[in-house]
Amino acid sequence: MSADPTSDFFDALAARGHEPLLEKMHGSVAVELSGGGEDERWVVSVEGGAVAAEQGARDADCTLRTSKELFDHLVTGETNAMAALLRGALVIEGDLELLALFQRIFPAATARVGSEAEASQA
Amino acid sequence: MTAASVEILDGNTFVVSDGSGDIEASSTDPTGLFSYDTRFLSRWVLTVDGRRLTPLSTDDVNYFEARFFLVPGTGTVYVDSKLSVIRKRAVGRGFHEQLTVMNHDEQAVDVVVRIEATSDFADLFEVKDALEKKGTYRTHVDDDGLLLAYERETYRRATHISSSEPAAIDEHGLTFQLRIEPHSQWETELDVVTAASVSGARFLRTKHGSNGDGGSRMASDLEQWLETAPAIASDWDALKVTYRRSLIDLAALRFSPPIAGGRSLPAAGLPWFMTMFGRDSIFTSLQALPFKPELAATTLQVLGAWQGTRVDDFRDEDPGRILHEMRYGELPAFEERPHTPYFGTADATPLYVVLLDEYERWTGDTALVRELEQEARAALRWIDEYADLMGNGYISYKRRNEETGLENQCWKDSWDSISYRDGRLPGFPRATCELQGYAYDAKVRGARLARAVWGDDELAERLEREAEDLKRRFDRDFWVEDGEYYALALDADGAQVDSLSSNNGHLLWSGIVEDSKADAVARHLMGPRLFSGWGVRTLAEGDGRYNPIGYHVGTVWPFDSSFVAWGLRRYGYKEEAARVAAGILEAAEFFAGRLPEAFGGYERSITRYPVEYPTACSPQAWSTGTPLLLLRTMLGLEPLGEHLVVDPALPTRIGHLELLDIPGRWGRIDAFARGRVDVGAR
Repeated sequence: MSADPTSDFFDALAARGHEPLLEKMHGSVAVELSGGGEDERWVVSVEGGAVAAEQGARDADCTLRTSKELFDHLVTGETNAMAALLRGALVIEGDLELLALFQRIFPAATARVGSEAEASQA
Repeated sequence: MTAASVEILDGNTFVVSDGSGDIEASSTDPTGLFSYDTRFLSRWVLTVDGRRLTPLSTDDVNYFEARFFLVPGTGTVYVDSKLSVIRKRAVGRGFHEQLTVMNHDEQAVDVVVRIEATSDFADLFEVKDALEKKGTYRTHVDDDGLLLAYERETYRRATHISSSEPAAIDEHGLTFQLRIEPHSQWETELDVVTAASVSGARFLRTKHGSNGDGGSRMASDLEQWLETAPAIASDWDALKVTYRRSLIDLAALRFSPPIAGGRSLPAAGLPWFMTMFGRDSIFTSLQALPFKPELAATTLQVLGAWQGTRVDDFRDEDPGRILHEMRYGELPAFEERPHTPYFGTADATPLYVVLLDEYERWTGDTALVRELEQEARAALRWIDEYADLMGNGYISYKRRNEETGLENQCWKDSWDSISYRDGRLPGFPRATCELQGYAYDAKVRGARLARAVWGDDELAERLEREAEDLKRRFDRDFWVEDGEYYALALDADGAQVDSLSSNNGHLLWSGIVEDSKADAVARHLMGPRLFSGWGVRTLAEGDGRYNPIGYHVGTVWPFDSSFVAWGLRRYGYKEEAARVAAGILEAAEFFAGRLPEAFGGYERSITRYPVEYPTACSPQAWSTGTPLLLLRTMLGLEPLGEHLVVDPALPTRIGHLELLDIPGRWGRIDAFARGRVDVGAR
């Protein structure tokens, strides 16, 4: 596993440029992470599936606040966003609907890669 | 639950108490104040001078409020009626209780009124399975009231209790030392407010009354809900009662999940299933389409937002799969249960496409069809890419979460629901027949949407080819030659699970039945092995596991029969559909218009009344939707382009029937009919 799954996640998201699973999302989500040495703040802006992700203090429509450790687990699929929200380990300020959409891009721990899933159909 | 239990609710917050308004839950006793699948009060007991009270009468005025008229003392034949007590309770964010103590004597009295309060903060799953708690409890008393709290790591839930009148507060409750003058009364407002640490929602101290005004808000909301529904007129009074009951219960069953922006969709059942269920929300939305099409819109949007995007074995999730069930309690929060959400259902995904198309046919809302294009495409892909576990071109199911996942992922989800004629149970995967019908229908309807709305002729042609091929193969592989019906399922070896079941009616509904086979199928559905006189048995009399009071192996499910009736209509069996409708609606009379989840499969001529199958939840959403769908099938309501076709076939039991202001793409239309179908002796 990478030393910093969170920044890998945002870098990959920014590199994709377009994310079909986020086509319904309009606006920006700030992700504020604490407890990993220095606090981190990322802003993900989405417009019709076009995604930009960068670090910084830019304003956002909705803020997702959690620990660096938990976010690392979210982006590697070791924990589930809705469960984390219910147990208070993750806090959202703003539109909850955005979480339903944003959580779509977190992987699952047991994820098979797409090619395997397709191969099993053959 | 005892017969005296009283339930009131608002969304997924509800109170189950005894007839005097008291709550005394044990770890396994399902009474209390519940919200978001968590019990926030497990004890709420009123005493006057240390004595419990006896109810003189209980009045659940509305589904969200109740009144208890009480006198002190229990167990005596004659009550000392110098004092009486009224508790008026309304559910809101927690509940609000107005407590009145009246002195009918000519002397002033000194009394001690006490409310005891405790919470075990049990998860609904713990109530069912009697599990131990892992967190810690805390109580705190201050000038504002009593705080009961539970904490496990970052998971926090709390209940705050306060009173408008001064009280002596201790860790176990509130005490009022009163002097009530002759022929006078004393009154206090009690507020019980629930709080969770979800999404930064902090615990708020309410002002008195801010919780209780929910009552009038909800009353006007209910009034508006009833007014905007089509109006009914008929000489059969019981039908009008049933219709009104259905609308009110449907209102009570509405649920606004936190992500739906205040809109609501039908939850599965009261009180334990007040949450999103893919299958139940879709079936109920389908039943209610001619009456309350907005339920379908929310169902489609919310289920679409939570559609699966990854392969997650714990949640049985796949890309494109529609969820089975969402839960909000402590066990899902700590991933000790998979319901955040859980995806283990094989029918919700094709049914999602079916609902989207049916919704558009009624409403003409192509904007929503465009908005949900990606979701519908992903659902259609799921059928071919993830649901074909056996590689034989059929949807089948086998759970990947073997510990807490669901074994049977079709609507007949009990352990012995899928059996061979001789009673043996097949292994997994199982490809039940109705799933193939839904898949066929999803492809046909998906093709229509692709052509009419998405402008994708290529997809439309492919889906039509696939549907045609599926229909042909299905007829070859599922048709039971010696019985002349479709098998309940194919087993893991591709062999027929050859019992005769009500699922044949769902096949008619989906359109997968070859025209040449429809006569035989309809004959079975209306024949003595399946038709009880009240409705269609889940499993045919004479099959190995048939039991008239077996949950899915012989009982009659009103919802199931309503889709059978729709299927019969689809293939032109109008009179048969009218017979099913008459049976179910006459059964509803025995339950004051509120159909139970299921009743016994006993022959009608023997029992003379429908024997209710005991279940925990009532009303159940798809039983509530049943009379609505039966009205549709009896009136033969069918959208055709911009018009609504009305082609009635009413049982003679109904002299005349009018349904006024049916909403749809045509605006509002009225339907009129006279009863002409002789459904036989009662």
